[in-house]
Amino acid sequence: MASITTNGPEHGADRDPVSVFERHRAQMIRDRMVVNVTLGVLFVAFLAWSVWISRFTPDRLATGIPRIFEYFGTVMPALQWDVLFDARNEAGRFPAGSIGYWYNDFWKYLRLIWETILMALTATILGTGLAVVLSFLAARNCTPFPWVGAAARRFLEFCRGVPEILFALILVFAVGIGPLAGVLAITIHATGALGKLFSEVNENASMRPVDGIKAVGGSWFEQMRYGILPQVLPNFTSYALWRFEINVRASAVVGFVGAGGIGAELSHTISFYSDDRVTAVLLLVVLTVTIIDLLSERARHSLIGKESLK
Amino acid sequence: MSTLTFHAISDADIAAARKRHPKAFGDRFATTLKAASWAFIMVYLIWSLGFFEIGKLLNASDRAWALMTRMVIWQDMATWQYANIYKGIAQTIAMAFLGTLLGTILALALAFFAARNTMPVGVIRHAVRRMLDVFRGIDQIVWGLVFVRAVGLGPLAGVLAIFISDTGNLAKLYSEAIENIDRKQVEGVRATGADTGRIIRYGYLPQILPVFISLSLYSFESSTRSATILGLVGAGGIGMIIIERFRAGLFDQVAFVVLNVLVVIAVIDWGSGLIRKRFIGERGH
Repeated sequence: MASITTNGPEHGADRDPVSVFERHRAQMIRDRMVVNVTLGVLFVAFLAWSVWISRFTPDRLATGIPRIFEYFGTVMPALQWDVLFDARNEAGRFPAGSIGYWYNDFWKYLRLIWETILMALTATILGTGLAVVLSFLAARNCTPFPWVGAAARRFLEFCRGVPEILFALILVFAVGIGPLAGVLAITIHATGALGKLFSEVNENASMRPVDGIKAVGGSWFEQMRYGILPQVLPNFTSYALWRFEINVRASAVVGFVGAGGIGAELSHTISFYSDDRVTAVLLLVVLTVTIIDLLSERARHSLIGKESLK
Repeated sequence: MSTLTFHAISDADIAAARKRHPKAFGDRFATTLKAASWAFIMVYLIWSLGFFEIGKLLNASDRAWALMTRMVIWQDMATWQYANIYKGIAQTIAMAFLGTLLGTILALALAFFAARNTMPVGVIRHAVRRMLDVFRGIDQIVWGLVFVRAVGLGPLAGVLAIFISDTGNLAKLYSEAIENIDRKQVEGVRATGADTGRIIRYGYLPQILPVFISLSLYSFESSTRSATILGLVGAGGIGMIIIERFRAGLFDQVAFVVLNVLVVIAVIDWGSGLIRKRFIGERGH
């Protein structure tokens, strides 16, 4: 077998191709084994460290898990079928076990959810506007001066790196409790996230229209307005709509630190009551988020078609 | 040969051009619609800013200025209890790791029940999917608050919150990965007479494992980000230190902690990017 392929003068038993191959293969398996074992050891060590540092020990878990089920048992509504759709009785109260009893504060919740959606909408519009301006400054192919681009990119990184609820915490201190702090916090975060996406879209745009406008003497603004913007506008709109979905989720929780919306009610209900009010608010929030997601997804698809979205 | 200048074009020329190419000058209806929607957005914006009392921003300048200066000018740096701060950051990473690991394990099991091609019984599939929707639909910080109520303050609540929301996210993405596998490889392995175990091992696993690992790594990254704020509701980690220092008015320490967290998150992103590139390749998505 070896005689077919040998072409050098020295061909011993360890030089024939089969044993070379076998040795090479054994070496590769050994190397791979070493890497896998090292990784496995690292993984286990990291796991042990994590368990130790977060005190995630079995006894804590054993006492915690039953309490979770107990808690979820207490917050479930005790609905009774025979009175489920009953109206208020003579005393002006809903009978226990009816939906009306469960959602006694329905109109308050609805008003807060309306406020939450408006907060998200305003923050999305403001954030999109700021992000459009900043994205032209930050995109490497569009920026008027390189240092402006670098500065804009760092600024956007900061804006999206800090969670919005942290901005909300700071802004609540600065402007007081209320939805304004939430709107501003979500605006800042949305500007950072959208600015990055927008500037990436700008960087992928064709520069030929820009060259054409430059050739007829267009200013930087005109180059961007007539050269880049028409190419990127559909993508911008779709990203802004997608951001609106995220902002609705965010504006539902910034209330935790007092920045308006349903979050304050949610936090209050969960912290102070352990009855069916908790599930009442949670269910409304989940429903709102889901409906907004579905609507916005439909709008995005009709805007630029299913193919180009992915 | 004369140069064509803009001055040489008369109104009559423009009118003639407009008549020849009516589309090129814009549709009157579309223009009106565009202007109207812009006007609507502007009116809404002005109304909503009034609704949210934008005026408070002007009154806030004193407090905001005090806050800003305090954040930039760091005082008494020797007394900052760095050990506490870094222990909080370590706890955040540990929470994210444990939560993602547990979430990955449960999601692996649930994903096969939520995927169309591995779960033919529609009732079970839809039940699992709706449950995952609830897991995802409720924000992680809300889960954090719920678990703080259920098991008390501390990192256990945080781990559970990350666990639940990661399970929801990962199981959905995993089940999509399972649905998108290439049937031909499975058929190929089956054609060699392999048993079920080997079909899964050589037909399914090589296709889904890289995607799964990559998704879990992403999930770990995003969990470290979100775990930083779980402490705001008492669910352990660095957020507890942030809110405690904030309530005490130590804004310089808050700024320091936030900067540290940003650096740590950047390092984790970079590290998991390396792992992804080393073991999965660029294609791993």
